[in-house]
Amino acid sequence: MKCVLEGNGVKVFGKAVQALSRIGEDLWLDPMVKGLALRSVNAAHSAYACFLFSPMFFQHYSLGSGSEPARETIKCKLVIKSVLPLFRCLTAIERNVERCQITISTPTDRVVIQFFCKYGITKTYSLRFQESEALQAEFASHLCPNVLKAPARLLSDMVLHFPVSLEEITLSATPLRFTLRNYHEAGNDHMKTMYTEMSLHPDEFDFFQVGADSDVTFCLKELRGFLSFAESHCLPVSVHFAAAGKPVCFSMEDMVLEATVLLATLMDSENTGPSQPVGPPVPTSPRCADVAALPVVSHEGNSRESQNAPAVMELIPSSQGSPMINPPALRHLLSTADDPHGPDVPDEASAMATPASTMICSLLFRALASEQDDDGCDVSLPVLACYSDTEDEMEGDYTRSPSLLISQRRLNLPSPGVNTWDSARKRLF
Amino acid sequence: MKFRGKIIDVSCLNHFTRVVTTISKLTKLCVLRLTPDHLFFVLSGKVANGGVSMWCELSQANFFDEYQMEGVSSEDNEICLEVTPENLSRALKTVQNAKSVKVKLTKKHCPCLTIAAELPTLSSISRVVTHDVPVNVIPRRLWHEFKEPSMPDFDVSIYLPPLKTMKSVVDRMKNLSNFLVIEANLNGQMNLKIETDLVSVTTHFKDLGNPPWGEDASQEDSASQSRDPETMAEARVDIRRLQQFLMGQQVNPSKAMCNIVCQRVVHLILLHEDVSLQYFIPAVA
Repeated sequence: MKCVLEGNGVKVFGKAVQALSRIGEDLWLDPMVKGLALRSVNAAHSAYACFLFSPMFFQHYSLGSGSEPARETIKCKLVIKSVLPLFRCLTAIERNVERCQITISTPTDRVVIQFFCKYGITKTYSLRFQESEALQAEFASHLCPNVLKAPARLLSDMVLHFPVSLEEITLSATPLRFTLRNYHEAGNDHMKTMYTEMSLHPDEFDFFQVGADSDVTFCLKELRGFLSFAESHCLPVSVHFAAAGKPVCFSMEDMVLEATVLLATLMDSENTGPSQPVGPPVPTSPRCADVAALPVVSHEGNSRESQNAPAVMELIPSSQGSPMINPPALRHLLSTADDPHGPDVPDEASAMATPASTMICSLLFRALASEQDDDGCDVSLPVLACYSDTEDEMEGDYTRSPSLLISQRRLNLPSPGVNTWDSARKRLF
Repeated sequence: MKFRGKIIDVSCLNHFTRVVTTISKLTKLCVLRLTPDHLFFVLSGKVANGGVSMWCELSQANFFDEYQMEGVSSEDNEICLEVTPENLSRALKTVQNAKSVKVKLTKKHCPCLTIAAELPTLSSISRVVTHDVPVNVIPRRLWHEFKEPSMPDFDVSIYLPPLKTMKSVVDRMKNLSNFLVIEANLNGQMNLKIETDLVSVTTHFKDLGNPPWGEDASQEDSASQSRDPETMAEARVDIRRLQQFLMGQQVNPSKAMCNIVCQRVVHLILLHEDVSLQYFIPAVA
């Protein structure tokens, strides 16, 4: 892949990297025909962000790199700590950098970022990447009963009233009022915690639809980077959410880029208490860790590697409500999924006895397969977390087309079927 | 016990926020005393804070448009609350552009000082922000600990040099030593001294002027009347306490002075138009 950014584009790109750095430690670079996607997910897999830059954003965008024809696109995983310093000082970039070229060089396993600056100076950064299957979160935003749209400024102003150190925030919406407040947690040293509540009238929003009264609690820290990006772009932000436990989606788009942040929400505020810890303890803050997420992130190779991802295997909404036809492979899986001892179950999942009432979230991940599969999946695949490209034979029954429903049987919540992100989005905007 | 106050004027709100922010820089926890005419932020000198004590007095009429309170009883018409000033400061800082700010004593999950602000918006309906700052009510039997400190029988009283200058001097000195000697005389001269094994540094300030206490304080002590103006009264203090005091100051006061009781205590007084702040730093051997 090779792309060239000019002038202001570099600054925007840099801001996106900064926003992503607030989410997780790794940055996935995913060049696709429809554009370059930058993604990140946090360690607990409870927050996911994606910035998709369309080819029009770049001065030049090609999937092949130089002499190589675009046979197979490479998905790279970089450590954000190595990318962030390049884009840390955006004012300096604005002043000095005229052009930025990003190339993914397969033979050397490196991403080369070159800044062509004033006075003939060229800075070249060569970062080693890990080849990896990309992540993509699935979210049925069109099925969310509650949709809000507001200028980024409004949301930033609201969030300003809360201390920077605040982890979680609760958003409540009724048809008449929109409220943000600290998450009330019992047992805190009451002298230290100040509780803040802020409400807005629906008139302040560009679009306000609350189909179902709901209270969702999510991690605010991860949202701040996104909000600052949106504010610098003066783009309106859309918020999609449903009941507690379902993820909340913040998104914005314009002609050349789309940005999305998906955050998992706490399940039911009355049933507070730690969720059964599964696997190794989550390295993020203890509270956000309670919001266990679905990590079914496929890493290259062994699907069992997913066990390394902490707090694994909570929940995937089933496709039971889906009207879509399942390809044969999927149908097979659906039936095996009913078998409690299906071969695809990692040990942890069966060890998990989480009842639906503990804090769970339903953030979905589907590894991207190759592009044809992607399109194919668009049409036929209603769901969900997938492994793709696994050399593992345990899922030998299904084809490369990814559709593994993990722990579907444990799902007690009836969930609507989900379409892929793209179609969902198209429906909405 | 009831308390309800409302601030409407932007500059009053600003000023009040600045005072609370200054207090928050001086101490993590302090006592807020509310009387019908005044608000006091009090820190009593305990070993835990290194013996420093603070007394900050505000006249409520200068800040609040509306002010109603009902104390613990009619004889003790006062409310005493323990509060974290940083929370108050944070809450106030975010609502600087409010149309009005109400401060009330409420009982939510615990007793709280609720700061409720109405923020202006483009539409007709304003935004409401509420901050609940948790407080502890201080029972009457402990009120004696938070009485107004009496003016010490000082040896020398002198106006302070510009606080910014003093702060930069003290900041540099802090790198060299943990203790600093403040000495001053009735000739308007003040020295800040540090001494270590390797080096001693003194900063001299001249022509500072001495406040004309003469008639009020130390009347009985004829010795101070005839005190040699050149003689320095000195006190050795923990430099961090002095630095903390200087760090918190955001606005230049109308009057800033320092009373020194030889080897006992350094008493710093800052007077603004409607706020007075006194800070006592005990001397160490």
